[in-house]
Formats: sequence, structure tokens, C-alpha cells
Amino acid sequence: MSTSLLARRPAVGGWPVTVDLAVMNSTEHAPTLATGNGAETGTEPELTPAQLAEGSVDVSTESADDRRVRFERDAMQYVDQLYSAAMRMARNPSDAEDLVQEAYTKAFSAFHQYRPGTNLKAWLYRILTNTYINLYRKRQREPLQSNSDQVEDWQLARAESHTSRGLRSAEAEALDHLPDSDVKRALQAIPEEFRLAVYFADVEGFAYKEISEIMNTPIGTVMSRLHRGRKMLRDMLADYAKERGFHGNGAGSAPAVLDSKVAVALDVPTGTASNDQEKNK
Amino acid sequence: MSDCQSLGDCDDSRIARIYEYLDGALSCDDLAEIKTHLDSCPDCAEEHDLECVIRSVVKRSCKEAAPENLKAAILDRIHQSRTAEV
Repeated sequence: MSTSLLARRPAVGGWPVTVDLAVMNSTEHAPTLATGNGAETGTEPELTPAQLAEGSVDVSTESADDRRVRFERDAMQYVDQLYSAAMRMARNPSDAEDLVQEAYTKAFSAFHQYRPGTNLKAWLYRILTNTYINLYRKRQREPLQSNSDQVEDWQLARAESHTSRGLRSAEAEALDHLPDSDVKRALQAIPEEFRLAVYFADVEGFAYKEISEIMNTPIGTVMSRLHRGRKMLRDMLADYAKERGFHGNGAGSAPAVLDSKVAVALDVPTGTASNDQEKNK
Repeated sequence: MSDCQSLGDCDDSRIARIYEYLDGALSCDDLAEIKTHLDSCPDCAEEHDLECVIRSVVKRSCKEAAPENLKAAILDRIHQSRTAEV
């Protein structure tokens, strides 16, 4: 099944369908600091004190209890973050909870393969992402990928037809006032491989390379997903801002943002439909 | 439409440069060059500011707190898997 999926969609980079936890420790990622000498090379990123403490663990002689304590201390701090990411994957709280539980259980059973001092958060995100792809999606028995392909085509066509200039500074201010639910809805509406790339970069601040490891795709694919995903998100947010009755006036002299309800209360005219069209050029 | 071509010959590549700038994916030289450009080009600066707003809005909106019992449930499962091994 996995091979047919990959064969069918080479353009999107193909998602991994098997979990290979050992791959996540491959030497080319993240700083190595098992013995502390990595820092002297000058090429490794600076390590936080927590990572340094982590790095002093000798995994080969560690007892099972010690490992569990270390897991609880180091990995459990990311529960809220992983849950937030799972909500962007699973779409409802109960599935998101299952997903996070399953990911943590897998992470714990593979924790002896995690190399202390390397990027634990990225390691956990990769397990979460794999768990989502393998478990949750399979359970849905619904080929999400092909659904998203269809959405993707019109969304991309749309995103590419008008460059993102529909959104100017006045609207940037309007965006700032959008309710969280609108923003989540917008994010949810873009195809998942784009959505997750944007989420990992813009919410979690992962670097391209880290995202490429988490999603198991080449860096070039990550960059193009980010670029297209961000454009789709912009368009979507601009639409929601308009639906909410936020109007940018372009010139920037009058109040840039005016909620129609506030306008009524203040007895101030808001933009008209023709105004909107003009702005859309 | 912006006529600025300093960061690329079309809007798309211009925006791509700004993304890379904000993503911290540029070399020091490129970074300095873009920073200088942003200081003098209102169009690109506006694009940059807009992208910053979007990121902060998305960040703010996606912050969820895991349900109270989730952490406990995970710990339970971890402890169970330990006793099952023994």
C-alpha cells in the first residue's frame, strides 16, 4: 500500500508509511554530544544546559528505571506542544489525545535508541508525525492524501492566480483581530502536507532541515510546501478577515480596522461591497 | 503591485526571500543585505511585516493546553508497559 501511494504521488514527496525509529538518530542530524567533545569542533550549535545534562547520560549502562525517570523528566515537558500539533493533524480532541498517547508510548519504548544531547523535541515530533500517518490515517480507512490532492489543485490555482498582494498592512492589522477559531479553520483547510510544514516552521520554529527529518522529505520539498502553504494560508486568512467585516482602506489615514458591530455602535459607516471589490482589484 | 526587484524578479521570488530571511535560513551576508534592503524599501518592509503578523497570529491561535488527564494517562501507559516487560 505504501509503495503504491508513493508511486502515485511522487511530486509531493511521498510520506513514510513505516516507522523506523532508528533513522531518527542518524548521525547527520542534530548535535552529537555523547561525550561532550562535540562542542569543541565549533561547528555544532550551542547546547542548552538541559541538553548538556542529557548528554552526560550513558545509555548503555542505564537501568530501566533510570531511563523511565529520564524520559519523564525530558520528554514529558512537550505534552502540550505535541497535543497542539496533534490537534492540527487529527482535527478533534479525542483523536488528538489518542495520537499523543500512542506517540509517547512508542517514544518510550524506543527511548534507548534516542541519542541524548540530540534534538529530543524534533525526535518526538517525528514519532508523532509517523504515528499519525501509520495509525490514525489507516484507522480512518480514508485516503486523505487523494482528498487533499483535489483540494490542493484548486487552492493552488487560486493561490497562484492572484499574488498575495490582496493583503495589505491595514488587513494585517485586521488579521491580528481574527478569532483563534478562524485561524485554526484556515489552517485546517489547507492540505495536510502543506499545513504541517507551515505548522512546524511557523508555530514550532523548526528549521528546514529539522522539518525535512520530521516529515521525511527532502529540504527542497519542505521549502516548496512552506512557500505554497503560506500563500494558501494568507489567502484564506484574508477571506476570513473580509467575512468578519474587517476592511482595510488602503490609504491608511482613516481607522484601518473596523468591525461592523463596532461601527454600528459608533455610528460610523463601514466599507461597502463595492469597496471590497475595488480592493480585490 | 510592487516594482521592487531587489529581492527577486517577481513577487513570488521576492516573498520567498522574505520567508527565508524570517526563517533564519540565510547566510550572514544575505541576511545583512536583506536587512539593509528592508530598511529602505517600504513595499518589501510591508511584506515582511505582514508575514510577521501572520506568524504571530497562527502561533497564538494554535496554542492548546493538553487535557488535564492526558499526562497522567501517558504515564500510566508507560508504567504499564514497564511492568508488562518484567
